[in-house]
Amino acid sequence: MAGGAGIGGLRLLALAPAVQQALTGAHGSGLDWVSPLNSETARVNHLLRRTTFGASAAELEQASSDGYSRTIDRLLETPPQQPPPYELLGGYGVSPAALQNWWLQHMLTSKTPFAERMTLFWHNHFTSDYRKVGVRDPFIYWQNLTWRNMALTDLGSMLTKVTTDPAMLRYLDLATSTGANPNENYSRELMELFTLGVGNYSEDDVRAAAAALAGWREPTPDGSVEATLDQKNGVTRRYPTWSRQASGQFAPNRAYRGAPLKFLGKTQAWNTDAVLKQLLAQPATAVFISRKVAVHFVTPQPDGGYVKRLADRFRSSGYDMRTLLREVFTSQEFTSTNYRGLVKSSVEFMVSGLKALGNTGPQAVTLAGAFSHLMGQVLFDPPDVGGWPNNDSWVSSNTMLARVNFATAALTLTRQLPAAGSALGHLDSVLGKQTASLLNQAPDDHARWFIALASPEFQLK
Amino acid sequence: MTEEIGINRLDRRSFLRSGLVFGAGAAALAAGYAAVPDAFARAVYAAKTNGVQNDHVLVMIQLAGGNDGLRTVIPLTDPKLHDLRPKLAGMSLAGALPITAEFALNQNLKNLKGFWDQGKLAVVQGVGYSQPSFSHFESTRIWETGDPSLRQVNGWLGRTLAQHYDSAGHPLTGCACGATDTPGALRDLQATMTVISDQKKYGFTGGSEVEAAVGALYQGTPGIYGALFDSSIATAGESVNALRTSAANYQPQATYTDQEQLVYASKNQLASALQLAAELITTGTGVRLLHVTLGGFDTHYTELTRHDDLMGYVDSAVGAFYQDLAAHGMADKVLIATWSEFGRRPKENASGGTDHGSASPVFLIGSPVKGGLYGAAPSLADLDPTNNLKYTVDFRSVYQEILAGHLGADPKEILGESFDRLGALQQPALAY
Repeated sequence: MAGGAGIGGLRLLALAPAVQQALTGAHGSGLDWVSPLNSETARVNHLLRRTTFGASAAELEQASSDGYSRTIDRLLETPPQQPPPYELLGGYGVSPAALQNWWLQHMLTSKTPFAERMTLFWHNHFTSDYRKVGVRDPFIYWQNLTWRNMALTDLGSMLTKVTTDPAMLRYLDLATSTGANPNENYSRELMELFTLGVGNYSEDDVRAAAAALAGWREPTPDGSVEATLDQKNGVTRRYPTWSRQASGQFAPNRAYRGAPLKFLGKTQAWNTDAVLKQLLAQPATAVFISRKVAVHFVTPQPDGGYVKRLADRFRSSGYDMRTLLREVFTSQEFTSTNYRGLVKSSVEFMVSGLKALGNTGPQAVTLAGAFSHLMGQVLFDPPDVGGWPNNDSWVSSNTMLARVNFATAALTLTRQLPAAGSALGHLDSVLGKQTASLLNQAPDDHARWFIALASPEFQLK
Repeated sequence: MTEEIGINRLDRRSFLRSGLVFGAGAAALAAGYAAVPDAFARAVYAAKTNGVQNDHVLVMIQLAGGNDGLRTVIPLTDPKLHDLRPKLAGMSLAGALPITAEFALNQNLKNLKGFWDQGKLAVVQGVGYSQPSFSHFESTRIWETGDPSLRQVNGWLGRTLAQHYDSAGHPLTGCACGATDTPGALRDLQATMTVISDQKKYGFTGGSEVEAAVGALYQGTPGIYGALFDSSIATAGESVNALRTSAANYQPQATYTDQEQLVYASKNQLASALQLAAELITTGTGVRLLHVTLGGFDTHYTELTRHDDLMGYVDSAVGAFYQDLAAHGMADKVLIATWSEFGRRPKENASGGTDHGSASPVFLIGSPVKGGLYGAAPSLADLDPTNNLKYTVDFRSVYQEILAGHLGADPKEILGESFDRLGALQQPALAY
């Protein structure tokens, strides 16, 4: 008697034909999901699930009629829909909660959700947090705008941008480093986490690049605004402002002026540009980025041959992100194996759940913002410079409890539920025995939606 | 046999191919979770004739980001300190709390100084390993797994849990308090453990009906994450019930302050995490191995006030925790130990901070401890070729000490080899 515990006595209701077939199979492990990816519609759904926050029935129908290949074109070629400007707090700063909600709102409603997934990908790669960057200027907000606009450009341009990004200048301390007494923080993470990966550089390389990169300062403000800190006692303070988004400025007097340094095997005079070019000249960089993209979109453990194929293509394209992503999405690995092989991150789970329910209003945003703390993914507040861990790291007693409670809360908040049949679309109608059985026994659409959103199937992508 | 849709059989080879990844970018596991069903964990335990029988508790406190040992236990008489740290040294020494003629604790470690005076603080100096990694992630993994070769994927506490405790059905035996995901030190495919980020919100909204439905939903889940999903939900259900009882029975006997936001706009998360630990320990939940984390130690810039504030966080949280345990008559059972992935560079940088370093001190705190200095402080006049401290004590000696002297679990089974004991515990050895 599987699936009856605790819900005995509920009315057995027929649902879509696909789930009426009771499933059997051994309990526990040893079984994998049957991949439906031999069908074009399922492939398109798989693509959209992995590159967006899930497709509605209408979106899936449109994409299916376009076909898999044209859907890839559309994802890669459509310029990102820009979010409405975030209104700076007091005209100068940010509220972390409001800024997170601003982004969540755009994730929920943007017509180009792939751009938001890529912005999130880069937020997780070239990461910064508001705690260290601070909230008294727009820097952390600007960084978000930057990754949205640059997400599908080339790695070289992105490296130049991130090195002089005001939030990053602060987050990894390049803004306070000097050639005479370098701060190694940015140099190390640039190599370890942004380009080469650990093991592909030496401690001497970290020191050399730290010296070579020194000299950048935060951008100079071109205005200021007075803010009232304490209305009662009339305490005010002036904060710097910038009339437009700015990058760091180079102060030659803070730069390294010593003898030529040896960096990654080459001894010469180095500047930021030369350091970044040298990083792009290392085969390890393309491998590292390609692997990260493959882990994010394809499989938790891509094999070496696959990664090398992607990396070769990426490097020969001049590190063009569109080329790399097209290679990934059209690769046999993307659609032939690893079905449901990835776990949705907390934000992906919440946004895809709310979109599935058609609930994308401010209350839904507030709910997701509140739950992000319990699920370990607060935007603009990654756990450390490595960003958020993935897949199995999203699964613990704590996070599963929070995901179930989020499903309950999101349903409570949703007045008009879509037909529960549409939930199956989000699950490809490929259901485990328990999910199918519980859906069959559910008394109403509310219960069906709860089962769908809380199911293991919906946690996966 | 009725029709099967949605699932098909996965052979062992496919598991090996699709094995899960441990942590960020680390080596793949030998097999997926699904290849190691929960029953296997029980079988492993049942095969042990000598699982841990005592009621000793270990609380590991992670100081994440790389704690500056030279500002934690300050070498008062090392003449190089001022040369290497013109900005940091003077202020470090100003209010420092001397424990010997040569060493002082950070000025904010007032409760720890009190423990020192009572013989309840062991300071192990120069703890590290050879050929140190300066990567947060690699060095954290080395400390978590107890394996500098980076081959081991399970955590040293996770392995202890799997091999020496019956965690199946007792999900609170191992617990991470104040975390959202399982810390690497506690991970093991064959052990069950609980993760609680916020106790007030740790329960199923909608009560037992929802809990039962979800319990039914997560049975025999297919796929490589299937067993992990199922055991996480099962653990949630069991631990929610246990926590309801513990919350009702717990009477705090100390004041935990977690509301100041001194460091990076963050509250003292250690305080609330240790209060939850105290609740679990004092209400008889069967908790044995606990892990808590305080972040913010990656002090590359303006280290002075930041690091002092962090020391204050640690001190106030540990002080309240010990007081609470003592008032409940539980202090004798509990060993507290700190760890951090590395120390920091002896020479300060242009930002008034310090870059990644190597060895740093470990604190062993509590009634089971034989107070004093252990190991040798690395000399600032004799740095390694990367200008970092030379370690004097292998970090696995600390684990050896804890396993053999406090938990009573054979360290060789956990660590793969034997390390020198420190002699820092009151009880020299337990049977195992």
